[in-house]
Amino acid sequence: MKENVIENQNKTLLFLLVFIMFSFIVTGIAADGAGRAFNGFLELQFRPARLISDYISEAGIGASLMNAAAVGITGLILILIAKVQLSGATFAAILTMMGFALFGKTPVNILPIIFGVYLAGKLAGKTFSEYLIIALFGTALGPLVSMVTVEMGLSGLSAVAVGTGAGIATGFLLPAIAVSVLHFHQGYSLYNIGLTCGFFALFAASFFRAGGYEFASLMQWHTSESVILMLMVPVLSLILIGTGIFSAGKNSWRDLLAIQKHTGRLPSDFMDLESVGGSLINAGLIGLAGSAYILVIGGDFNGPTIGGLLTIIGFGAFGTHLRNSWPVVVGVIAASLVFGKSLTSPGVLLAVIFCTTLAPLAGAFGIITGLVAGFIHLVLVHQTGSWQGGMNLYNNGFAGGLTATLIVSVIAWYRSRNSDFK
Amino acid sequence: MKRKDLILHLIGEISNFLLESDPRRLVISLHQEENGLHLCILDENTHTEEELSKIEQKLNSRKRPELAGYYGSMTGHDMLGASRLNLLGWQVKHCDVSSIGSGIKIDIWLGGDAFQNDQFTIPKTEDE
Repeated sequence: MKENVIENQNKTLLFLLVFIMFSFIVTGIAADGAGRAFNGFLELQFRPARLISDYISEAGIGASLMNAAAVGITGLILILIAKVQLSGATFAAILTMMGFALFGKTPVNILPIIFGVYLAGKLAGKTFSEYLIIALFGTALGPLVSMVTVEMGLSGLSAVAVGTGAGIATGFLLPAIAVSVLHFHQGYSLYNIGLTCGFFALFAASFFRAGGYEFASLMQWHTSESVILMLMVPVLSLILIGTGIFSAGKNSWRDLLAIQKHTGRLPSDFMDLESVGGSLINAGLIGLAGSAYILVIGGDFNGPTIGGLLTIIGFGAFGTHLRNSWPVVVGVIAASLVFGKSLTSPGVLLAVIFCTTLAPLAGAFGIITGLVAGFIHLVLVHQTGSWQGGMNLYNNGFAGGLTATLIVSVIAWYRSRNSDFK
Repeated sequence: MKRKDLILHLIGEISNFLLESDPRRLVISLHQEENGLHLCILDENTHTEEELSKIEQKLNSRKRPELAGYYGSMTGHDMLGASRLNLLGWQVKHCDVSSIGSGIKIDIWLGGDAFQNDQFTIPKTEDE
C-alpha cells in the first residue's frame, strides 16, 4: 500500500517535471521560432557564464528556455539512472538547475562537474545515488568550466580539454567540501552547495589571480518587458497549486498548514514529512508571492530573477515556506533601505529572492533571528561575488551559508554559557 | 565512515532525542557482530501510544540513499535544535519501538547485506 503511494507520487512528479520542461521548449519556440531558438541554444554552450550572464539578454527567450529544458532533462536522466525516487530534494534540484540555466548553466559546462562527483563517489566507495544531490546542485560551478574554456585565451581542443579537466577536478572535490561545510551551519542554510561552491571558488579564484588572471566584470541584465517572462512563473505556480489540490484532495489545506509548522532545517523533505500535494501548493504560493513582489516594486522579469523564482519554488518542497521566509525577506529589504540601495537593483532583487536560504533560522529561532539574518545577508552578498570571481552561480547560497554559520555559532556559544547542574 | 564513528553518531542522535524529555535514567546497550550491530536504548519516561507510533514511523521511514549519503553526516553531530530521527531512520536496517511499562525501548539494527536478525537477540533478563 505504502509502496503504491510512493510510486504514484513518483509518477505525478515525473509527469509534472516533464510537462514543465516540454512547456519551456514549446514556449521558447513560440517566442523566437525553432531555428533561432536552437541556434541561440548552441551558441550559449560556449559563452562566458560567470555572474551575471543573463542568457535572455544574450541569446533571447527561446534559446534560454531551450537551454533550461536541456539542463533539466540532463538532471532528470541522472535521477532516473541513479534509480532515486523523485521527492522534495530532487524536485528542488531540478527546478534550481533549470532556473540557473537561464543565467549560467548549460549541458556542456555542467557535465564535467557531474562526472567529477561520480568519480569521487567511486573512490569513496559510495553509489552515485548517495552523491546525486551534490552532483545536481554542484553544477553551480558550471561557469568555472566555461571560463577556463572560453575566457582564458585557450583555443580549439586544448581549451575544451583543459575546461573539461578543470570541471572534473572541481566535481571530484565537491563531496568532501559539501559534507564538511554542512557542519558549519548545521543545516540552517538551505543552499549548502552554494556555500560549498563558494568556498571552493574562493580558492580557485585566488589561484587564478595568483597566476595573473584578471576577472573581467560581467553584467548582462535583461530589462525589456515581455508578457511571456512576466507570466511564466505565475502560470507555473497556478499549475503547481492545481496539481497539489488535485493530488492532496480534501487534505490540501491541512497539509499546507502542517508544512508551515516545520522549521525547514536541512533536510526537510516536505513531500515525505507531509504530502506531495501540500508541498506543491506551498511551492506554488511561494512562486506567486515572489512574482507579486517583483511586480509591485517594478523589478525586471529576466533570466536571473525567473531563475531565482524557480529555485525558491523548488525549495518550497524542501525547506522554504511563507512562514519561515518572510522575516528573512523583511531583513534584506530593511538593510537595503538603511544602506540606500534600490530595491530594483540586481543585487538587492536577487538577495530578496535567494535570502530564503536562511528561512530555517527564522523557522527554528524566531522572527528576530530571521530579521537579523536577512539584514546581514544583504551586506555580505554584495562582497562575496567578487571574492569568488563570479564563478559560483549560487552567490547568495555562499553568503547565506556564511551568515548562517555566524548566527549558529553565536547561538551555540550562548547556549553553552552555563550548565544546568546546581 | 568507520564503524566506531557511525556508532557514536547513532548513539548521539538517539540519545539527543530521548534526553529532550529529561529522563532520570537512560540505558544504552550495544551488541556487535561482524556483519551488523544492535543498539538497544531504554528510558523511564512515559510515552503515549501516539508518540511511540511517530517514533517508529520516523525510524522506519523509507530508505533515502540520496539524502542519507549527504545529509546523514549530520546524524549525532549537529545538535543545535531538535533531534532528527529521520536522519537515523534512513541509515538503519530496522527499528522496533515498544513500551516497557514505565518507559520506552528502542531497538535499532544496522548492518550490511549479509545481516541476519537471529544473531542479534538480546538475552531476556529476569525482570522481563
